[in-house]
Amino acid sequence: MPQQPQAQPSPTPPKKKKIRVPRVVNGVEQMVEIEVDDVAGPGWGPNDKHTLLNHRMTRVDGPLKVSGAAQYTYDIRLPNMLYGRVVRCPYAHAKIKRFDSSAALRMPGVKAIIQAPLEEFRFAGSPVAAVAATTPELAQDAARAIVVEYEKLPHAVTADAAIKPGAPRVLPTEGPGGEENLTQKGKNGELPKVEAAFATCDAIVEAEYRTPRLHHCCLETHGMVVDFSGGDSATIYATTQGTFTIPGDAARELGLPQTAVTATVQHMGGGFGSKFGIGIEGMMACRLSKETKSPVKLMLTRSDEFLMTGNRSASWTKFKAGVKKDGTFAAMQATQYRLGGVGQGSQAGQPYAVYKVGETYREVYALHTNEDSSVAMRAPGHPQASFAMESLLDELAYKIGMDPVEFRKKNMPDKTYHRQIDRAAREINWTRRNPTPGGGTGPLKRGMGCAAGTWGGGGNDQCKVDVTVGRDGSVVVAVGTQDLGTGTRTYTRAIVAEELGLQIKDVVEQIGNSKLGGANSSGGSTTAASLSPSVKDAAYKTRIAVAEKLSPLLGNAKPEEIIFADGNVSGGGKSITWKQACAALPPAGLTAHGVWRSDLQARGVHGVAFAEVEVDVETGKVRPIKLLQVQDGGLPLNRLTMESQINGGMIQALGMTLFETRVMDADLGIQLNPSFMDYKLPGSLEMPELVPLIDDEDKREVVIGIAEAAIIPAIGAIGNAVFNACGARIRDLPMTPDKILMALAKEGRSA
Amino acid sequence: MSDEQDPKKKSSRYDPSRRKFLKGVGVAGAGAALADHFISPDKTVAASESVTTGEPIAGTVNIALDVNGAKRTVTVETRTTLLNALRNNLEPAVTGPKLVCDMGSCGACTVLMDGKNVYSCLVLAVDAVGKKLTTVEGFGSPEKMSAVQSAFVEHDGLMCGFCTPGFVTTISAYLKKNPNPSLDEVREACKGNFCRCGTYPRVFEAALAAAKAGVSV
Amino acid sequence: MKPFEWMNATSVAEAVSALRSSPAPADIDDAPRPIAGGQDLLTTMKEYITRPTRVVNLKGIRGLNKIESDGKGGLRVGALVTLSQLEEDAMVQKIFPGLAEAAHSVGTPQIRHLGTVGGNLCQRPRCWYFRLEEVVCLKKGGSECYAATGENKYHAIFGGGPSYIVHPSDLAPMLVALGASVSVVGPAARRTIALDKFFTLPADGNLRRENVLQNDEIITDVIVPASKFAGNSTYLKFKERDSMDFAMSAVAAAVAMGPSKTVADARIVLGGVAPIPWRVAKAEAALVGKTMSTDLLASVAKIALQGAEPLAKNGYKIPLTQTLVRRALAKVGGVA
Repeated sequence: MPQQPQAQPSPTPPKKKKIRVPRVVNGVEQMVEIEVDDVAGPGWGPNDKHTLLNHRMTRVDGPLKVSGAAQYTYDIRLPNMLYGRVVRCPYAHAKIKRFDSSAALRMPGVKAIIQAPLEEFRFAGSPVAAVAATTPELAQDAARAIVVEYEKLPHAVTADAAIKPGAPRVLPTEGPGGEENLTQKGKNGELPKVEAAFATCDAIVEAEYRTPRLHHCCLETHGMVVDFSGGDSATIYATTQGTFTIPGDAARELGLPQTAVTATVQHMGGGFGSKFGIGIEGMMACRLSKETKSPVKLMLTRSDEFLMTGNRSASWTKFKAGVKKDGTFAAMQATQYRLGGVGQGSQAGQPYAVYKVGETYREVYALHTNEDSSVAMRAPGHPQASFAMESLLDELAYKIGMDPVEFRKKNMPDKTYHRQIDRAAREINWTRRNPTPGGGTGPLKRGMGCAAGTWGGGGNDQCKVDVTVGRDGSVVVAVGTQDLGTGTRTYTRAIVAEELGLQIKDVVEQIGNSKLGGANSSGGSTTAASLSPSVKDAAYKTRIAVAEKLSPLLGNAKPEEIIFADGNVSGGGKSITWKQACAALPPAGLTAHGVWRSDLQARGVHGVAFAEVEVDVETGKVRPIKLLQVQDGGLPLNRLTMESQINGGMIQALGMTLFETRVMDADLGIQLNPSFMDYKLPGSLEMPELVPLIDDEDKREVVIGIAEAAIIPAIGAIGNAVFNACGARIRDLPMTPDKILMALAKEGRSA
Repeated sequence: MSDEQDPKKKSSRYDPSRRKFLKGVGVAGAGAALADHFISPDKTVAASESVTTGEPIAGTVNIALDVNGAKRTVTVETRTTLLNALRNNLEPAVTGPKLVCDMGSCGACTVLMDGKNVYSCLVLAVDAVGKKLTTVEGFGSPEKMSAVQSAFVEHDGLMCGFCTPGFVTTISAYLKKNPNPSLDEVREACKGNFCRCGTYPRVFEAALAAAKAGVSV
Repeated sequence: MKPFEWMNATSVAEAVSALRSSPAPADIDDAPRPIAGGQDLLTTMKEYITRPTRVVNLKGIRGLNKIESDGKGGLRVGALVTLSQLEEDAMVQKIFPGLAEAAHSVGTPQIRHLGTVGGNLCQRPRCWYFRLEEVVCLKKGGSECYAATGENKYHAIFGGGPSYIVHPSDLAPMLVALGASVSVVGPAARRTIALDKFFTLPADGNLRRENVLQNDEIITDVIVPASKFAGNSTYLKFKERDSMDFAMSAVAAAVAMGPSKTVADARIVLGGVAPIPWRVAKAEAALVGKTMSTDLLASVAKIALQGAEPLAKNGYKIPLTQTLVRRALAKVGGVA
């Protein structure tokens, strides 16, 4: 990119301040301290005074995507390109006894076979080898012709099997207490104090909640196209949430300097937390390319995707909770297991952060199984913890006969939630809620439930943005960030257009390329709050720089007072068009460089969901009727896409609550449903009426990321609505007909 | 049949033989038979003469496909799916239809075959000869979108966009059949298309809006 | 998929002859296969469950894609008739409403545009052990049905053992209820097989197949005879996920009503609960001659599920199927 000197370089270094910000490593948020400029700059202004932002803007990449013209990594085809294919270990735990690829190498079209750098395989689906051949069909033939003999070792693939004394050891290391598969033991609080508090309670509930492993189900599978033919440089087409996570790792595999490797991601088919770095599939693609000196495309198959790209960790939570008659949640003891397979798993600590409980004690463990490592997935750790806590709260409320909304408010210290819960209750008409769970005549029972969620959503200082204005009036905003389908491209253009008084179509964005200005990975909902302040800063500096050039033409008006609006530039009693204005720029136009401004963003998202469902107590079928979610997020950059994000969160929550689960055969140690036929995503007929509500009472003039927050509250809300409808409490997700029928039978409620 | 395989014998969960369930990965046989099938003269089956020969064809063949109104010749194997032929074999490629599940269970590869929406991952390329094929590219371009495509953009019926070509194709075909559908009919029509980002409600809105606009697809 | 020879057959005789393999295949699933819609066959080929050396395309055979009246109130449905053709056929909708419903309940619009009547009857089980290439189960020549003691939520409660698959076809239970038969052509003379004799139980010994068809036989037509109950038929399919799923349980029901709400004749066939369409004759008998009422249906539903032997994780199918039996009969019996 053309780097031009900034409009007005400050002679003295700006004042600095230290702040703590989230940084995302492999999709997981970590707080770090950084130093940022502490000087006055642009502000967003009141949320209701924008001309483009906080309006409904259609996606700028929409026309490409609806016509099949958008090119994804999976769509890349290069001359002489080979196709890669992975061979997986079919056993939950095994070592290789013999590996023979000689026959496969002799097959037509086969150019290279490499082994994965692993000795022992600790889950079924572990990559063992990879093949490159001239067509995908031939690559598959070769992959199947590789002979691998294994020494099978004992495994444990379920929580119940793994926690048993003497269970097969999943990891080579043992836990601190010598337990086979429990590691990372953590403790918080004092048990005697909690026990004393239980004695003062009017009601006690003891319950266990479980959530299963879930899959991201990115429609575009993981993988990349490595454009390398020997030579001294390479381009990597990657389907990734982190453009800048690619070149370093790829360069290492290719034996090139990092600066000689360019990563590009123009459009990508979903990540949801699973796509950071090159992954083992990317590593193998690079090695195959290096060995063959040919471009290699290695996109995982759907079953590969289920078996070797990670998943959301399962959870198992045991609660003892005490409550007073007036609704005070006085005491809670929790044991939480994170089931992250060979990984550590993720689960927010109890009590879930929205709620305050008098005395608390919790023990937390990682419980390992011979399954692929969990990775980040939209709001890591929150859906599990939220479902458990929101179910428990509901059980406590019913136990003392208190309205679940009132009970929640009583134990929610942050009044923002009170505002949201009151609005949502009004919108769904909570008062018409079924007074008696399972009551009423007929097999179809309606019920309602509610829950709340929280997330950070703040940004960090990694985005470096250039805005260039041409002498012909054209405007480009460039930064290496990526658009996962969240709408990054659209608001990036809009921020610049608004600042310069232009329309969205007057600005072009360049993103998704590691040769452009640096940017953070899209994880932890940090993109909007990292990117938009940098874009705003660049746009503001552009405006001032253009204004300085124009001042002599506009009666020497002060640059800050020159108005950019409706495609015109006005000052000193004169007005000229944007095009006329730009003609005054130097031949190369003008480029301004924007950096992050902490005061244009913040952390802290609040959301509340209400659900209405209908349960057929004679079939166990849950029909979602309505889902309504109130969500804040400071300044909504684009109301249309923010609502879509909230819808998406509610729909993924619906999938988690009612349909989705990884099914393992405990004995065989394998996943039985690594396909879209058997891993059931909700479809068009599963959709309720969806009502995404932006909380405009939130007057914060800052940008906050909301994507993760959106998935959290509806899970508990749907679960609680199921109980309110039919009177059976399902404590083990998903709430499928078999479980509901059996629970109703147990409660004596079946037809 | 040996005693061990006697179907009447009751299975036991704890039979140690159960651990022998898995095939060795890549038994030699899988590849051994290949050589026979790849030595085959190129043979062209023209679009017009799809079903005129009782002669078996094997290995690679040249076929002609009618894609978005253009006759395109392409070399495929008999086992190449229509989806892979469009994406990997045609030159230049047609990549609007996406490969997502490859098992007819997601809808991202949906194309029209003689006007009907089908999963192109569950059609063999050699079986698509002589059929009129329409992919999402056949409805419009970014510069000149169809009414359905415009409605998807207008109503934000897309996020990551990977399922979008399939939905656009399905909805376009359906509106031709039923130009004035109810919400429930739209939901039923696109139940074979799955989305992970969660665009469904806005896909429905887009479909209804396109229908209301009354513009032919 | 393994490579294969492709052949466009132009006649039934040509197809049958092309299906004969010489020498005999190493395994039954390596034998040549006919393809019509291919909506199931290709999924099994992609998983290497079926590895035909030759695939014989039947779609070029003339005359097998028609739905014709037999002139006596019955139908002859060509094996190549697609499911969407069947569900939209005005005659089928009027004379055999349950058959139109069963066709409509299959898969998705995309599947039904290509999937055929013959293929629907011949599709392979959806058991997840069977569908995973790596698992060599009883139905693939192995020695054990892993569902018996494994994850058997979707498996059989009737007729199971030694394999516990359920038959995946939606047309099959309805066609059995309607007394349909199939016309089959092989190397020998054409034969007509009543559908209730077409499907085979695993215990009958034919573990590798779900019906009596030989490798070189194809279904050419389905014959649906006129009956007193045909016009009063329904198919009720319960799916875990409505958008796209196979039946967790299903009921095909048809009744002929006599005077004053008495039942003159009845057929009740269950789907999704057994390796074959599961006709419950005792329940039918309990209905005939009685006056339709809610109480009668409740007791008939209980009888229908008598003898069910649930596995560890599919006990819910009993109350679920009872509900479906009641509701299906209530619909055709005019009980609110």
